[in-house]
Amino acid sequence: MGEAEKVFISGLRENLIEDKVITEADLDPNFAAEIIRYGGKDVMTCLQCGNCTGVCPISLKIEYKTRTTIKYCQFGMKNYTLGTRWVCATCYRCFEHCPADLNPAEVMIALRHIAIREGIIPPFVKTAASNLLRYGLTVRPDAAMLKERQRLGLPTAPSTLPLWESVKKEIATIIEATKYDRLLGISAKEEGA
Amino acid sequence: MTFAYFFGCVIPSRYPGIEYAVRYVTGKEGLNLDVMDIPEFSCCPVPGIFYSTDRDTWLALAARNLCLAQREKAEIMTVCNGCFGSLLKATEYLAEPKRLGQANKILSKIGMKYTGIPEKVEGSSRKIFRPVSVRHFVDVVHTDQSMKLLAEKIKRPLGKLRVAVHYGCHYLRPTEWTAIDDPNDPVKVDDIVKAVGAESIDYEDKLACCGAGGGVRSHVVELANALTEDKFKNISNENADVIVTPCPFCLLQFDNAQKTFTKRGIPVIHVAQLMAIALGADISKLGFELHNISCNPLLAKIGVMTK
Repeated sequence: MGEAEKVFISGLRENLIEDKVITEADLDPNFAAEIIRYGGKDVMTCLQCGNCTGVCPISLKIEYKTRTTIKYCQFGMKNYTLGTRWVCATCYRCFEHCPADLNPAEVMIALRHIAIREGIIPPFVKTAASNLLRYGLTVRPDAAMLKERQRLGLPTAPSTLPLWESVKKEIATIIEATKYDRLLGISAKEEGA
Repeated sequence: MTFAYFFGCVIPSRYPGIEYAVRYVTGKEGLNLDVMDIPEFSCCPVPGIFYSTDRDTWLALAARNLCLAQREKAEIMTVCNGCFGSLLKATEYLAEPKRLGQANKILSKIGMKYTGIPEKVEGSSRKIFRPVSVRHFVDVVHTDQSMKLLAEKIKRPLGKLRVAVHYGCHYLRPTEWTAIDDPNDPVKVDDIVKAVGAESIDYEDKLACCGAGGGVRSHVVELANALTEDKFKNISNENADVIVTPCPFCLLQFDNAQKTFTKRGIPVIHVAQLMAIALGADISKLGFELHNISCNPLLAKIGVMTK
């Protein structure tokens, strides 16, 4: 398991060595409100029982603990928690096992929303968005697979039909309307063309 | 009720054999369901990317797919846990008037409007609007009638097979929305495995995550693989012949991760492929040669090796 831990770049472990003092200047008092705005409505009502960490498959593997992350969010330690954003597998086990019926997974998802808006954008998010604009699918269609489809006697893949042009145009219009392309720093018009 | 196939991204682009299997199982040789294609369906969109980064975009893109099903007055039949979770959650979001208004404002730019499927009320001129229903393939085929038909139509009983079922997270959770099976003791895929005559083995931590979801596979593939390794150990302890899953993304993860930690991988197939084998489909058309882990030991055990 050493490998995954090495790759994991949460920042928590390095930044929270025991004797380090966190001053008030490191805290963001509006952090919880921001999390609630992006859907993590349960962040402040967490009782810190730790059931979520106990059932989290990721917490078993690496230095990422659901309960601790929520505690940091309550304190307003924005700079420390944004690093944990993309390790939640959204399996919703924490939600199922929470005795107070809270949803920690949605807090993790809210952290991703905030991280993206702070400009911390993992490359695969951009790739997925531009794939969606270019091909109408997030997983890029593969020429070899299209040939395989013929061999299997499947109907032509919709993504190769003439009607797919208007599908892509509709997707580009939606993404432009929600300003998602600008959020990620790509252009719906250019990618779609 | 007509079901509209929703294959999503992974199946057409990576595992077309699953698409063949689903068409075979729902078709005349199989369970003979009323099905149709809606070619305009786009990506669901992926919850791990779009739901995680911008809910408005996610909802509008999902609502676009729902509008297409609404136009055809069809129920959506997803073959992937991700599509199922994403679209089902979207119907729940769209039940809120405020969210619905926001989504429709965006959809108006492409000339669509999500209302739900209009239905006449008997003895009145009023109409009610029923939300588009989103169903999982497993849920659709797991009816008394279909299971009976399945048992009758079996051409290749799979008696010798030891099957490890992996459900996948978004088939079960969050239970708030996804109430199609018992979240702590799901039975539907096991029932299908038993119906085709195979043995569904019990193994430790059966409901654990494969590790790929929520963008983990894309972000830290080693972490995703470490989770899969745990699952693999539990499955191989029970000497399973094959892993059967209702989710192509879990399938993709098992199929790609196993080579990083073992030389003796266990073949992994979609539940539709298992049903198609039992129903007597042409094995060469189920796309097993496209899987990274060779399915030949499995096919040899059933006695249907093509070469």
